[in-house]
Amino acid sequence: MGTDNLITPEGLAARLKMAAEAMRKKPGVMKSTAGYMELLNKYVGRIITAKEHGKFVVTHGTQQPLEIYEAMDIVGVFNEFWGVISDVVMVESVPEALSISASTGTPNEVCSFFRNMDGLMHVGKWPHTDMFVYATSSCDNVKAFHTLGRRYGIPDFGLERPYYPFTPRAMEHWRNEHKRLIAFLEEKTGKKLDYDRLKETVRLSYRLTEVALEIDDLVAHVPTPMSAECFGGVLLALRLMCGTQEAVDFLESLKAELEERIANGVAAVNLERFRVIWSSFTPFWDTGLMGFMQQKYGAVSVTEVLQLWRGQANWILDPDDPLGNLAYRTQLAPGNCQYSPSIDWAGQVVEQARKFKADGAIFNNNWGCKQAAGLSSIVRDELLRHCNVPTLTLNVDVIDATFTSRAEVEAQMDGFFEMIESSKAYKERRNLK
Amino acid sequence: MNTPFNALNEMIRLASPFPESVAVKDWKASGGKVIGWVNPYVPEEIIYAAGMLPFQVSGNNEPVQMQGAEAYILSNTCSYIRTCWQLQLDGQYGFLDGLVSSSMCDQDKRLYSVWEYYKKLPYMDILYAPRKRDEAAVQLYLADIEDFRDRLSLYGMRRIPQPDLADAIRVYNRGRELMSRLYELRKRDRPPVTGAEALEVSKAAARLPRDRFNELMEQLLDEIKRTGREIKKSRRVMVIGNDLHNATQIEALESLDAVVVVDEMNCGIRYAWGQVETQMPPMEALARYYILGRPVDMHTWNSDGRLEFIGEMTQQYKVDGIVSEIVRFCTYNGWDKFDLKKQMDKRGIPILEIDLEYGHPAGAQVEIRAEAFMEMLESRAS
Repeated sequence: MGTDNLITPEGLAARLKMAAEAMRKKPGVMKSTAGYMELLNKYVGRIITAKEHGKFVVTHGTQQPLEIYEAMDIVGVFNEFWGVISDVVMVESVPEALSISASTGTPNEVCSFFRNMDGLMHVGKWPHTDMFVYATSSCDNVKAFHTLGRRYGIPDFGLERPYYPFTPRAMEHWRNEHKRLIAFLEEKTGKKLDYDRLKETVRLSYRLTEVALEIDDLVAHVPTPMSAECFGGVLLALRLMCGTQEAVDFLESLKAELEERIANGVAAVNLERFRVIWSSFTPFWDTGLMGFMQQKYGAVSVTEVLQLWRGQANWILDPDDPLGNLAYRTQLAPGNCQYSPSIDWAGQVVEQARKFKADGAIFNNNWGCKQAAGLSSIVRDELLRHCNVPTLTLNVDVIDATFTSRAEVEAQMDGFFEMIESSKAYKERRNLK
Repeated sequence: MNTPFNALNEMIRLASPFPESVAVKDWKASGGKVIGWVNPYVPEEIIYAAGMLPFQVSGNNEPVQMQGAEAYILSNTCSYIRTCWQLQLDGQYGFLDGLVSSSMCDQDKRLYSVWEYYKKLPYMDILYAPRKRDEAAVQLYLADIEDFRDRLSLYGMRRIPQPDLADAIRVYNRGRELMSRLYELRKRDRPPVTGAEALEVSKAAARLPRDRFNELMEQLLDEIKRTGREIKKSRRVMVIGNDLHNATQIEALESLDAVVVVDEMNCGIRYAWGQVETQMPPMEALARYYILGRPVDMHTWNSDGRLEFIGEMTQQYKVDGIVSEIVRFCTYNGWDKFDLKKQMDKRGIPILEIDLEYGHPAGAQVEIRAEAFMEMLESRAS
């Protein structure tokens, strides 16, 4: 069991800095790609320097009101995306962390987002953490937070979200859970939440939502101006840095670049042959795969579920009720449909496929994800029924590059795109004979 | 060879063939409706009070060949869920008028979605199973089961009245009391029943009309008293982990010099545990029981109490060793493994960890490991 490639927060920051510099010099890539790497570097940098700035660190799961953390000067570490970020710059780290996790007895069938955290914590390479916070609305794996909290003496708090999220009763309960979270954070940090600061972080977060939706409209353009190397930027800004000026600035600059590209007729590829929707998540385990698809098949990634906002995402319901707004925001937030009934998820994906004029869907069946394994058929069938969009299911591990080979994926994609191209629906969509 | 119990034989007869049993056919023949329930956060009392038969959806003593289930529910889902769906695809659950589940785990809720999408039944419902055990969770669950009561009343075209709920609670409390008595008897140095027999009792409770089950349970306890039956085995074993419905898995352990004296399963000791309070409004009493009244289970975020409960049971039942049976892809059990082992090490209780496919009989590999485990227990004892 090797540990040579395990990435530390400092190592991650150094590599992200190098990546930003490399992207700045690399010809042919979107210039926002460097900004994307810089944003990630800022995110990691905040975590590294939290202690010296007297800030508390929360390792957290999905659907978190990061705006509250920002307003309380608490630095967040999103456990799932730590593995995603490390895959961006050092793909060798995750498999080593997973083997360490296995050595502690954690079965390899649970989600590798969490096993990566488990392994890195076991050898002291996870960012220093003062608290764990999580919510029902991702998956059963969030139990790991309490488990690891028990093991390492880290206090934890879970927000409980009802199964059907949008009833008045569910919303009230969820809002109260946010209140309890604030009480937990205040108790652990000894600081009171400043509601004026919260209003400001909520304002920034709302602006981020607006820009993200504007970017969606630009990406939906045919041909799409968004190239693969920058595709993940929106998701990571939304999921890691909402409530910050830095995230808004990054998305504003990305939006400006996309507008410029459309104005100048610059597309992701010269000949856009296929528009792809990722109906579970993008290939985090192989960050070069989308670029490869562009080059080999002329297949562009136009949208994915984890960065999807419901509808118009007008989540400021009452300007004087920042908590109520936030509770609503975390329900509408990208990816939250995962926890909902499968048909709800499928309905969201169908809407997305229509809006982005998708030709095909790729469903990454993450080995450790039981949510996805049980809803893939419904998403697949709804896409076909409502939009005539076929689905390719790839059996993968969300962040472990060693689980599936590129060659295997390529072989499946060869057949998939060939099938789409010869289909009647595709020809009709493209006005081909 | 232990003499079989007439009452247990009758339970098994009524619950056979699986799943559309003699009892189910009789029920349907009299015009009754059958509502399937999937996990322990569905209060059967409400279904019973509606005049319908609650029936636990599961597998049984025979492995099910997956011939289609994986086209709907991918193979990285636990085999319990795929088994239930395969049985539905095979037409085995055609007698169900409805299905009620809860979001106890990701896989339960996806089974519900698939069932709802591909084979919608006249009545379908899903509840939220809180991950916390506090007052807020009770209130959240109470609101959900109130809705469930309303919707089931609409389906049955009859408002489920309070007295019927109170009566259902009385009947189910009686069943729990009788099952708990059987568990108490298993604390004896020579328990009167095997673990495999006890599992058949629990399964019957979840599949027969509860009042009929209670009658048979009383007969069984009476037979135990009259016959003075004793199981003479050297080693006392506890089975923990996922629900098993295949009694042959327990029989395989008990074919060695061991008897399973207690378990930690939702379909076992938790199903028999405690009483619903009868001095408060029935719905609130149900909510309190289902959230707070049973031992902490694997789905609760804070599973410290689960580990303590297992440890406590090993003492009460004088357990020599634990067999931890985990159905592959069970996230909850996966995350408890490390600390469970550590805590049982502290208590000096050895654990045999077995990963298995739900419903499959114990294969040679399991048998060899179980034999080695029993030998180890033997050498510790000597």
